Amino acid sequence: MHATYRGKRMAQPTQSKATRRSFLKLAAAGAAGVAAGPWVSRNAQAKPVSITFARESSYVKNFDVHFQNVMAPAYEKATGIKIEYQIQAAGGSAVPQLVSMVENKSGADLAWVQQEWLYRDALVDVSDIAEEVGKQQGGWYDEIKLLSVDKGKWKSVPNGNIGQVMVYRKDWFDEAGVKSFPETWDAFLEAGIKLKAKGHPFGMSMGHGFADNYSWLYPLLWSYGVTVMDKTAKKVALDSSETAKAVEYVKRLYKEACIEDCIGWLDPANNKAFLTSQISCTNNAYSIMVSAKRDLPDMGKVIAHGLNPKGPNGQRYHALVPVTHGVFAHSKDPQAAKDFLRWMMDPKQYRPWIASGDMYFAPYLHGFDKAPEWDIEPRVKPFQKALETGKLTSWPAPANRQHGEVVNRWIVIDMFTKACTGTPVKAAIAEAVKQLKTIYG
Amino acid sequence: MSKILEASRAGALAAPARRPFRIRAFLERESVFSWLMVTPPVLFLLAFLGYPFFYGVYLSFFEREVARPATFVGLGNFVTLSNDPIFWQAVRNTLLFTAVATVLKAGGGLAMALVMNQSFRMKAVTRAMLLLPFIVPTVLSTVAWQWILDPGMGLFNRLLVVSGLATTGPSWLGTPTMAMISIIMVNTWRGLPFFGISILAGLQTIPVDLHESATIDGAGTWGRFRYVTLPSLLPVIFIVTTFSIVITFFDFQLVYVLTGGGPANSTHLMATYAYSLSMGAGQMGLGSAVALSMVPVLGLLLVLLTLYVRKD
Repeated sequence: MHATYRGKRMAQPTQSKATRRSFLKLAAAGAAGVAAGPWVSRNAQAKPVSITFARESSYVKNFDVHFQNVMAPAYEKATGIKIEYQIQAAGGSAVPQLVSMVENKSGADLAWVQQEWLYRDALVDVSDIAEEVGKQQGGWYDEIKLLSVDKGKWKSVPNGNIGQVMVYRKDWFDEAGVKSFPETWDAFLEAGIKLKAKGHPFGMSMGHGFADNYSWLYPLLWSYGVTVMDKTAKKVALDSSETAKAVEYVKRLYKEACIEDCIGWLDPANNKAFLTSQISCTNNAYSIMVSAKRDLPDMGKVIAHGLNPKGPNGQRYHALVPVTHGVFAHSKDPQAAKDFLRWMMDPKQYRPWIASGDMYFAPYLHGFDKAPEWDIEPRVKPFQKALETGKLTSWPAPANRQHGEVVNRWIVIDMFTKACTGTPVKAAIAEAVKQLKTIYG
Repeated sequence: MSKILEASRAGALAAPARRPFRIRAFLERESVFSWLMVTPPVLFLLAFLGYPFFYGVYLSFFEREVARPATFVGLGNFVTLSNDPIFWQAVRNTLLFTAVATVLKAGGGLAMALVMNQSFRMKAVTRAMLLLPFIVPTVLSTVAWQWILDPGMGLFNRLLVVSGLATTGPSWLGTPTMAMISIIMVNTWRGLPFFGISILAGLQTIPVDLHESATIDGAGTWGRFRYVTLPSLLPVIFIVTTFSIVITFFDFQLVYVLTGGGPANSTHLMATYAYSLSMGAGQMGLGSAVALSMVPVLGLLLVLLTLYVRKD
């Protein structure tokens, strides 16, 4: 599908108003400089030679390849500005790198600003770009604004969501008599018990990772009608009898349906366990399917994706794993970096780029809701639904520093794991609530 | 021009005879030479150890979030930590981890050295092989350990199942107790060669005469070990143990790669917690306070070490 876009000519970058204005000013200064001497004229010609763009490496390699081979050269051809694409290793090292860029005021000009709540103050306002892109491409999903918009200003432009859904072995589910993916958490537990009895336990990550643990534990909690904080982020909402029910459920699920190891799993562990046929179901992005199709074709055929089940409140939820791009205020020329960001988000560049990644990064734009790109593979479609029912882990509160602290101290995740490893449910919840109160003060 | 030259020449001739300044002689003066030799390492230490250390101390007295100015809070961060259950768990974990791993490494290292001190075929190759855990970068070897400890596909559990010792092996990283045992085991594996080789070096300095005279006095193998080998080795063991405690106390990579401090913080060490707070949660001041809390314990050990070395 995406091949349609690939051959097309890249559009010329649209200059922002600010740039046009500054260009005029510079041109005028340049004209004056001819008379005024070398200093002014040198400034008039000032234009960055290159822009550094940092991004964590993509699981779908083609996404990075498309950027390097198609987009970067096209931008250079159009503007003369070279794009240095700095790929950061996946696996948790990107955030410390970004933090040190911010602290040292050097490094990339713009980046995939992971955990941007840590350093929003060091990002420039990109409201003009975000609003323009939203208007042009069907409007933004409201949820992402809890992250990208801070005090009424867009501090980053959302690029895509790495969807997380249930990944399961259709063949084993069929064998166990589970013909369709469970619709409720109770049915999910039942299915898990059956599959574990057949030697195919579930493997639901619960360790100190940053995606595959949050992506099912938070939606589960929400579908019990509980959120961690209230909308204003002032009141701890976790302290509820429904939380106890959710924790009891996870305890049962872990003991009766899961592989014992999953309680300590970091993010890569469930991929490994799934691909080595040790588990029949987990919550993950579609990286497992990508690997299986590439390396284990037989397994590739029997992997299916299901949506997170519904809870007692009759709703289903998914956790958003956002990719957002921001421009650093320390950049030598933030305006040039913004112009590049605007150009990247232009549908002429953006659509083929997103398509090259097989929708692994799903746009937070309603214009893509029914896009033909979703039809590349029927098993990719659930990720669109996941976006529709997706919430940030801070939901309904904004994703701020305090939220970051909760995530990085695994307060909510460890509430579940403590209960699974012997702490009484009430005590585990009380401890989490106490820590939340301290953090949100 | 020439007048000036002449004038200066005349001046030079008129000056009283003085030993000409020679750079070589200056450099060879001991007071100069010793400072010259000491300056580069001192500068190096100041830049790469002193600066970060003192900056860390400074930060621990401030509330300092990433990309924000610092606010002085005095001992506020330490007060916050004293009420933080995760911090105390990290302290307990670190002490347990360091104590058990160090005892295992010291005992195992001594045994390793005693075996390596015997003559046998392929001795040199074996010695070189035993150094491998120490040489391979920790992150790499820890990734290998991830595979070894895998519940279904891992080497350990496969061996247990194939040999018929168990129908299913334990979950090495899946319960709080087993996860702690596993990280201690991997740390011991990695640190053993350091002890082994250092103690072996110590063993080889023990004069043969001592053993001979002990044998003449009727000492058996155990007697010779107890009264000759062990006392002669004590200084080496003491120093190696102290170094090892410092290194183990600060261990980060192994836990970060293997468990990330989980499950339920059961393997969170002070180093990994300091990292999570500073780099993850962006609380530079609080993270520095955790890191600084490690210093008193280590400081005490270093004082002991210095006193011991002086005594000798």
